[in-house]
Amino acid sequence: MTPSEGARAGTGRELEMLDSLLALGGLVLLRDSVEWEGRSLLKALVKKSALCGEQVHILGCEVSEEEFREGFDSDINNRLVYHDFFRDPLNWSKTEEAFPGGPLGALRAMCKRTDPVPVTIALDSPSWLLLRLPCTTLCQALHAVSHQDSCPGDSSSVGKVTVLGLLHEELHGPGPVGALSSLAQTEVTLGGTMGQALAHILCRRPRQRPTDQTQWFSILPDFSLDLQEGPSVESQPYSDPHIPPVDPTTHLTFNLHLSKKEREARDSLILPFQFSSEKQQALLRPRPGQATSHIFYEPDAYDDLDQEDPDDDLDI
Amino acid sequence: MAAAATCGSVAASTGSAVATASKNNVTSFQRRGRRASGTNDSGPRLVSITGTRPSVRNGQLLVSTGLPALDQLLGGGLAVGTVLLIEEDKYNIYSPLLFKYFLAEGIVNGHTLLVASAKEDPANILQELPAPLLDDKCKKEFDEDVYNHKTPESNIKMKIAWRYQLLPKMEQIGPVSSSRFGHYYDASKRMPQELIEASNWHGFFLPEKISSTLKVEPCSLTPGYTKLLQFIQNIIYEEGFDGSNPQKKQRNILRIGIQNLGSPLWGDDICCAENGGNSHSLTKFLYVLRGLLRTSLSACIITMPTHLIQNKAIIARVTTLSDIVVGLESFIGSERETNPLYKDYHGLIHIRQIPRLNNLICDESDVKDLAFKLKRKLFTIERLHLPPDLSDTVSRSSKMDLAESAKRLGPGCGMMAGGKKHLDF
Repeated sequence: MTPSEGARAGTGRELEMLDSLLALGGLVLLRDSVEWEGRSLLKALVKKSALCGEQVHILGCEVSEEEFREGFDSDINNRLVYHDFFRDPLNWSKTEEAFPGGPLGALRAMCKRTDPVPVTIALDSPSWLLLRLPCTTLCQALHAVSHQDSCPGDSSSVGKVTVLGLLHEELHGPGPVGALSSLAQTEVTLGGTMGQALAHILCRRPRQRPTDQTQWFSILPDFSLDLQEGPSVESQPYSDPHIPPVDPTTHLTFNLHLSKKEREARDSLILPFQFSSEKQQALLRPRPGQATSHIFYEPDAYDDLDQEDPDDDLDI
Repeated sequence: MAAAATCGSVAASTGSAVATASKNNVTSFQRRGRRASGTNDSGPRLVSITGTRPSVRNGQLLVSTGLPALDQLLGGGLAVGTVLLIEEDKYNIYSPLLFKYFLAEGIVNGHTLLVASAKEDPANILQELPAPLLDDKCKKEFDEDVYNHKTPESNIKMKIAWRYQLLPKMEQIGPVSSSRFGHYYDASKRMPQELIEASNWHGFFLPEKISSTLKVEPCSLTPGYTKLLQFIQNIIYEEGFDGSNPQKKQRNILRIGIQNLGSPLWGDDICCAENGGNSHSLTKFLYVLRGLLRTSLSACIITMPTHLIQNKAIIARVTTLSDIVVGLESFIGSERETNPLYKDYHGLIHIRQIPRLNNLICDESDVKDLAFKLKRKLFTIERLHLPPDLSDTVSRSSKMDLAESAKRLGPGCGMMAGGKKHLDF
């Protein structure tokens, strides 16, 4: 999907990008950094899922509930089920509505659901969890949640689960980031140049080659997506105008191309070391005798015609 | 194990031959008859298990890996009692294929399977095995595959170098003789359900076997690994693969397949941290596993995501603890994808280690540059041919690219292409 001049065909293309991110299900990992933040893209995806009628659960750990809900209109806000782990992460106030076991317990509880309704879980963020839990526990929990529906035997009794996670790349070493990427079905890495945000989208479908796309985009204040062309490329690829390309097949002293007649003549040529039937006949034919071969020799002035062996006078 | 049995029977027969010669005084070569055996069984002395054959070098019992091309590269096959470790490619597309070929070969030969995974349910893995190609359809399938691949120039028979036409190609395309050791599989079709149900298999799916609240003591095996080892040990003991159940007449091979060992889903953190608390867990597991395998009639295939392991010393230890190590490197996403040198292939295959079992030398093949390609139905492994060196008039930059890429290949080909300077002779 390359950004083309028809990027003003706005809503159609916008839906394509968000749809492609949400279509596969499973774990969608958004990797952001300090310069290119990903929470607005996360909120855009949450809004899209809510508008599609899915059940949306938010596990908020990094920002407060008010800050997360800011910018959504009331219709969407009513559809979001928010689990707040920011205000009281260690559950000191012992209220009943908090999940026992923290965000991990909430994730594990969602493994056990049995509704046919598709569910989107927005995890904000796995970075917060990685700093407090062992990486293996988080990977196992995420895998269990995002793969509930992958049994071919069951008839879709459990709806599709999509887990959106916002990972801050710069907080972790290559190990945890690599481990989470290998679990993700879709991975979006945010970058950009000169004020324009760019998303590298890598989709791993099971047992197929991963597909790679890049998309320039920007997020509007109401969390809808605006797809764009990239910034104009000012530098031309470096080409050297002084040296014209040289054709090596001109001015040759030998013939590179054969005409049809020459090709036939070449094919019918018998090579010297091939044992063909003609050669066999030539060898088997009886020799006509010595008379056919003559050696003509003209002695030179310096030639020695003495037939004796010069080594005979050696006294051995 | 099997080699010792051969020696024993040979010694017994020569003893009896000498005894009869001294009686008759005619000749010392006597036909070994039934009375020479001393027992009353009329069957052959050596019990032969289906799907195995002795190695031509030292009589070691071998099983096929499911890919006859890979069998050739490993010196005939995988020895019984050893571990084949496959280093996964980056996006884990081709290593599951090799895993499934191994299991499919087990089903076709009637071996018992043990499939362990933390990612997928073993029942689902078995549903996706490739279908075996039977004799009568084989030739037709291969002919059409080979024909699509042929270029027009290869139709010209060689006139001057005609002796080279007699050399065998890298891969024996086509079905081998009817005493089947390696089978061919069609990757685009699934194995028929009745074959899977008729086979004897055991599955180990980690999320079912382990509760998540188990506490891990430091310096011990991860609980996932402990459970897996206990499971394997139970199966080997109960089904008599280590000879502990003497009532069992019919001996069989146990094929163990462990998928994604070392990934965080097994509870092991070597992929997440460089110096984690359990960094010896994987190496201990492999050590104990090798002990279990050496004392039973089993063969094991393990796929491991070594590209995720942070501590390179662990990779070296894991390589030493395994017997055969094969690495897959796919070109997806790397700059090699656009390199014209590699345009026909999907990746490189590196044979990193071959064991020396009861031997002073190992059976390594002399071809070190191998590439694989997943065609629609077949997974083929071929020798990678370097293109001929180009003339001076071609621009220097493309020659440098080829030199860089050729540098990564083994020393077996083209020393001229090594290094940055391009020397022409």
